Amino acid sequence: MPYGPGGEVLAHGVGARHDLPIPAFYAFAGAFAALFVSFLGLAVLWAESRFRGREAGRALPYGVQRAADARGTRLTLRALGLLAGGFTLAAALFGPDDPDRNPAATFVYVLFWVGLVPASLLFGPVWRQVNPLRPIHLALARVTGRRADREPPRWLGYWPAALGLLAFTWLELVAPEPAASASILIWFGGYAVLHLAGALAYGPRWFDRCDAFEVYSALIGRLSPLGRRSDGRLVVRNPFDGLDSVAPAPGLVATVCVMLATTAYDGFSDAPAWVNTLQTAAIGPVATGTLGLLAAVAGVSLLYGLCIGAAGLIGGRGGNLAGFAHSLVPIAVGYLVAHYFSLLVIEGQRAFILASDPFGTGLDLFGTAGLTVDEAAVSPGVIATVQVVAIVAGHVLGVVAAHDRSVRLFPAAKAVAGQIPLFVLMVCYTLGGLTLLLAA
Amino acid sequence: MTPRPRRGAVAAAALAALAAVAGCGERPTTHHRPGSDHRPVSGTVSTPGPAHEHGGHRTRDVPAAGAPAVRLEVRRDSESGWNVHVIAERFTFTPESVGGAALPGTGHAHLYLDGEKIARMYAPWHHLAPAAVPPGPHTLTVRLSADDHTIWSVGGKPVEASAPIEGEGGGGATAAAKADETITVRIAGGRVSPPPGRVEIAKGRRVRIEVTGDKPDTVHVHGFDIERALTPGTPAVVEFTADRTGLFEVETHDSRLVLTQLVVR
Repeated sequence: MPYGPGGEVLAHGVGARHDLPIPAFYAFAGAFAALFVSFLGLAVLWAESRFRGREAGRALPYGVQRAADARGTRLTLRALGLLAGGFTLAAALFGPDDPDRNPAATFVYVLFWVGLVPASLLFGPVWRQVNPLRPIHLALARVTGRRADREPPRWLGYWPAALGLLAFTWLELVAPEPAASASILIWFGGYAVLHLAGALAYGPRWFDRCDAFEVYSALIGRLSPLGRRSDGRLVVRNPFDGLDSVAPAPGLVATVCVMLATTAYDGFSDAPAWVNTLQTAAIGPVATGTLGLLAAVAGVSLLYGLCIGAAGLIGGRGGNLAGFAHSLVPIAVGYLVAHYFSLLVIEGQRAFILASDPFGTGLDLFGTAGLTVDEAAVSPGVIATVQVVAIVAGHVLGVVAAHDRSVRLFPAAKAVAGQIPLFVLMVCYTLGGLTLLLAA
Repeated sequence: MTPRPRRGAVAAAALAALAAVAGCGERPTTHHRPGSDHRPVSGTVSTPGPAHEHGGHRTRDVPAAGAPAVRLEVRRDSESGWNVHVIAERFTFTPESVGGAALPGTGHAHLYLDGEKIARMYAPWHHLAPAAVPPGPHTLTVRLSADDHTIWSVGGKPVEASAPIEGEGGGGATAAAKADETITVRIAGGRVSPPPGRVEIAKGRRVRIEVTGDKPDTVHVHGFDIERALTPGTPAVVEFTADRTGLFEVETHDSRLVLTQLVVR
C-alpha cells in the first residue's frame, strides 16, 4: 500500500515507490548518443527547411473523418469526460479521506495528469474533447444567456495556461497534502470557477488557449501522428510537421519551460540533499519547495533566453524568443515519459482497483476491488531503458526541429553557426535530465 | 552528488533506552510480610558492610532465614534486545519509598553488566535494548537493594543472581545476526542525524532500521508499508526483507521527516 494513513508528503502526489537511479552505464550511453546525434545533425542535416506545419499530412479516408467528427462521437466523448469528472468529484466529496482507499487522488495524479501524455501523443489534443468544463460552460451559458464567442486578448496568450500548469505542479509536488481530498477539491474548485468565468466572458475559445490541461494536451499532441491539416482534413502526418505547426504566442515559451522545469524539479526533489534542505530550512518545507520550484522554472527559462539571444546574435535575427519554443516540446515530453512511465504502469493499476469501491463502503462496481497492484509489471531494467530512450529521443527530435527552424529563419551562411547555441541548450537540458535520472 | 549515508555512528544513542522502567510491576502491598514491619533496622539484623564494595553500594546483612532470594531470567525479545525477568522471593518492589529507610524485604533491584551498573529496576520486568550489550559474551547480574541503596546481603554476600548474555554488536542485538544491513537514525529537535541519505540494499537482504526520537511519532517504511510507534528514548526497530526493487523512503508521520532512502535493486 503506497500511502501513509497520516497522509504524509508523497512523491508526485501519489505512490510509495520511486524509480531507482539509473545505472551509470545507461546515463553515459545516453549522453554519448545525445552528443553524437547533435554534432552529426550539425554536419549532415538538410540545408532547406522541410517541415510544412499545418500544410502537411496524408488525409485519412472520408469515412474515418466522418466517424471522428460525428456528433455522436463528440457527445460520447463529452459524456465520458463528465462521467469521469463527476465520479472523481463524488469520490473526493463522499469517499473516505484516505488516499489508500479513495480513488480520487490516483485518478487525478495518475490517470488524468500522467495519462494525458500518452493519450495526447497518440491522438492529439484529446483533452479538449473530454474537458468536463466545456459542457458545464455550455450549460451555464444557456442558463445565463451569456453566449460570448470572441478571442481572448492576444497579450494573454498562453500565460493563463503556464500559470495553471505551475499551480497544478505546485499542488502535486510542493503542497503539504497533495493526495488529501480537501486539497484536490479546493484546487480544482478554484480552477473551475476561474476558467468558467473566463469562458463566460470569452466563450469556448477561452479553453483553447487558457485552459492549462488543454494547452498541455495540445502541445504534447503536436507530436501525434494524427492531426488536422489547414484544409480541415484529418491527416496522418510526420510528427515534425505537427511540431512545426506550433504557433508562437505570448506565454508559449513560459508554458514549455514550466513543463520542463517542473518535471525536472520532480526528479530533483528525490535527491537526499534537497530532502535534507527541505526539512531543515528555517522557512519550512512548503515555502522552500515553492522557492525551489520557481527557481527551477527561472533556471530553465533563463538558459533558454540566453541561448536564443546568442543564436539571434550569431544568426543575425535577434529577439525571436518563441521561434524555437516548439523544439523544446519533445524534450519536455522526454522528461515527462522518463519521470512518469513507471508511475502510470504501476500506480495506474491502483486506479482501476480503487474505482470499484469509491466510497469505502465495500462496493465492487467493476469486480476489481479484490485485485492487488502488480509491482513487477515492469522490471527496473525496462524502466531505466525507457527513461534513457525517452530523454535521448526527445533530444534528437528537438535537435531536428530546431535545425529545420534555424535554416528557415537564418540566412543560409549563418544557419549552422546560428543553431550552435540551441544545441548547447539542448545538450544542457538532456545532460541535466540524465543527471537527474542518475543521481536524484 | 548523492551524499552517502553515514551509518553506525549513532548506536550509542540507543543507550537512552536504559531509562528506568517503572509502572506495570508489582503493586505495593499494605500487608507486612514476616520480619518487615516498620521498626528501624538495627544492629545485628542488618549491618552496613564496607562501602564501595559492590558497585559503589554498601551491603546490609540480614539473617539467612527469611532473607530475600533472587533468580534471573534473560529472554530474547522477538523484535529487539532482551526481556530481563527478576524473580525475587520474600521481596517487594517499593519504588514509592525509594530514598527512605531500609526495610527488610523491600526495595528495588540493580542490574549490572560485567559488574558495571546499567539500570535500576522498580519492577520484576525490564527491557534491555540491543545497544546496551556490546558484542561478545557478557554476564548480567541482578542484586536486590534496600530503599536506602544498600545492597541486601547474607553473610556479607550480596543477594544476587547472574545469567550469561551474548551481545551481537553494531547496535543490533538478537536480530542483527539475521539483518544484513542495519541503519541507525536519531531524531532530535526536528533534525535527523545522520542527515537523510541513501542506503543501497541488494534485493532479498534483511534490513533493520533503528530510530530513536525525542517525541512520540510513527515510523513508516514506504513501499513495504511497515509502521512502528516511536516513543521518546526507546529505539523503534523495523526489520524486514527487502523483497521489492525501487527507491523507498523511511519517514515519520507526525513530524513528516524523511529519515533515509532505501535503494533496493
